[in-house]
Amino acid sequence: MTAEPVRPTRMELIRKREQIRLAEQGRDLLREKMDALVQEFFRVMNDVSASREELERSARIADRSLLIAQAVDDPVALKSASFVTKRRILLDIDTRSIMGVPIPVIEKKSLALTVLERGYSIIGTSGRVDEVAEKFEAEVDLIIALAETETTLRRIGHEILMTRRRVNALEQVMIPDLYRETKYIKITIEEREREDLFRLKKVKRMLDRRKKQSRITTRGTT
Amino acid sequence: MDQGYINARVRGMYRSLLSPDELRALLLRPDLDTLVAELRKTSYQREIETACIRGSGITCLEAALRSHLVRTCRKILRMFGDDRAARYVRLFLNRWDVHNLKAILRGKNIHSPANEIQECLVPAGTLDEATLQELVNQPDVRDVINLLATWRIDYARAFTPHIEEWSRSRELLVMEHALDQYYFDYARIAVQGKSEEAVVLRRLVGTEIDVTNLKTVITFIRDGVRIEDGIHFLLDGGGALPKKVLEGMIQDGTLPVALKRLERTPYAFLMHRCEETPTCGPHSNLIKELDRYLVRQGASLYRSNPLSVTVVIGFLYFFLAEVTNLRIIARCRDAGLSDEELEAELIHV
Repeated sequence: MTAEPVRPTRMELIRKREQIRLAEQGRDLLREKMDALVQEFFRVMNDVSASREELERSARIADRSLLIAQAVDDPVALKSASFVTKRRILLDIDTRSIMGVPIPVIEKKSLALTVLERGYSIIGTSGRVDEVAEKFEAEVDLIIALAETETTLRRIGHEILMTRRRVNALEQVMIPDLYRETKYIKITIEEREREDLFRLKKVKRMLDRRKKQSRITTRGTT
Repeated sequence: MDQGYINARVRGMYRSLLSPDELRALLLRPDLDTLVAELRKTSYQREIETACIRGSGITCLEAALRSHLVRTCRKILRMFGDDRAARYVRLFLNRWDVHNLKAILRGKNIHSPANEIQECLVPAGTLDEATLQELVNQPDVRDVINLLATWRIDYARAFTPHIEEWSRSRELLVMEHALDQYYFDYARIAVQGKSEEAVVLRRLVGTEIDVTNLKTVITFIRDGVRIEDGIHFLLDGGGALPKKVLEGMIQDGTLPVALKRLERTPYAFLMHRCEETPTCGPHSNLIKELDRYLVRQGASLYRSNPLSVTVVIGFLYFFLAEVTNLRIIARCRDAGLSDEELEAELIHV
């Protein structure tokens, strides 16, 4: 059932046929896009699961070194050292496009600092505190890398979903509607043509009958 | 006060330290609660009961250990008057002053709330709780230093030449380094003399400087710090390692090569340790070995001249090792670490 009344004209029929061609072309393109996105999705998903495992491993190592440092050096020494550490992380984020999907690209700049850059005096700070800082810096690096791949994965996933909806809408709703409308226009035009033919035949018959009658009357008067 | 009498009291305190058997019994405790229950039967009882009123778990136990440390150090400080022996004991306790001053400056530099800074303080040094509280109450780094100078506390001397540099960059590294340098310079000056005590303590200070320098060198090699950047972080006055050797080690670039320079020094154990694994293993293992070496050297003073102040300093090393061991046992038990892993972290004196 169409929402708007369709004008059953030849022009409209031509227009609808053009729309069908365009819709089918669009559907095929979207399918191709979806296939490409799915391929990319699985590639990124492998990266994400590998990065996640690496992050978990790195977090376990960092937690362990933190535990040892807290045990040997007292948590107050760590808390004191944490006051000095730089708390801001500046990142350059750019975007690239995969099949029209904007993907964030975070500049790969390691946050790992040398002992002279951490801000506390090396002489009075235990090596275990340094090790904790180093391990957590490595973890932050991995978190940032994972943030990039996970965002990519989420965006591609979202785009696949949107594309699938569009393909479905074209395939299940729009193209069948257009076919129905074309059929309706075609039937209506054919019906009208038949009516026109019938009317013309009737007129012709009437004209013939009138012609016949007028011929009879002229013959009677003569 | 008579040194013999003080040493007798300190020996009494030594007897209340946990014996190896008691420590082993604590190692067998399956969880933190039973560990705390066991510690209630020792000299830590008073502090544990007080701390457990305020909180529970690992933080309660750590607070109790800290309080016990502070109480014991203050008790020892009160035994002394203002003589040379007192100066030697203060040398050992000054490390907490350095820790506290750094915590206050760091906290003030980022405008941390006073209670957060207060949590980081261990008033076991010569600066008492009231002094530290007043320093914490100052609005910023400059005022803390001004107050130290007003009260004629010696540490102000380390900071004042660097105030302008700090106000330009707001980086505390220069101040912290100056404080560390001051701490070691003061120690070196304090142990000058020809007395037997001075000679023994000079050796200990020399060892502490060596250990600190070696830790710095190991960290520099690991981080690839250039000799030009790192040279002024090396301390003068080492016992067995002159600066030239240390500079050479940094220039060597890798730990296995650098540690070979220690072959004929008391620190050759680091070289042997490094030979066990191709890359010397994690650098924290080497640092752990150095820390243990220093504690053993310090604790050995307890068995030196029975009428010397070195007995007190030796006891302090034993006591500090015990507090550290208890914290290691508590933390590792709380985190569910295996017995082998826990054992590897303990400091055996």
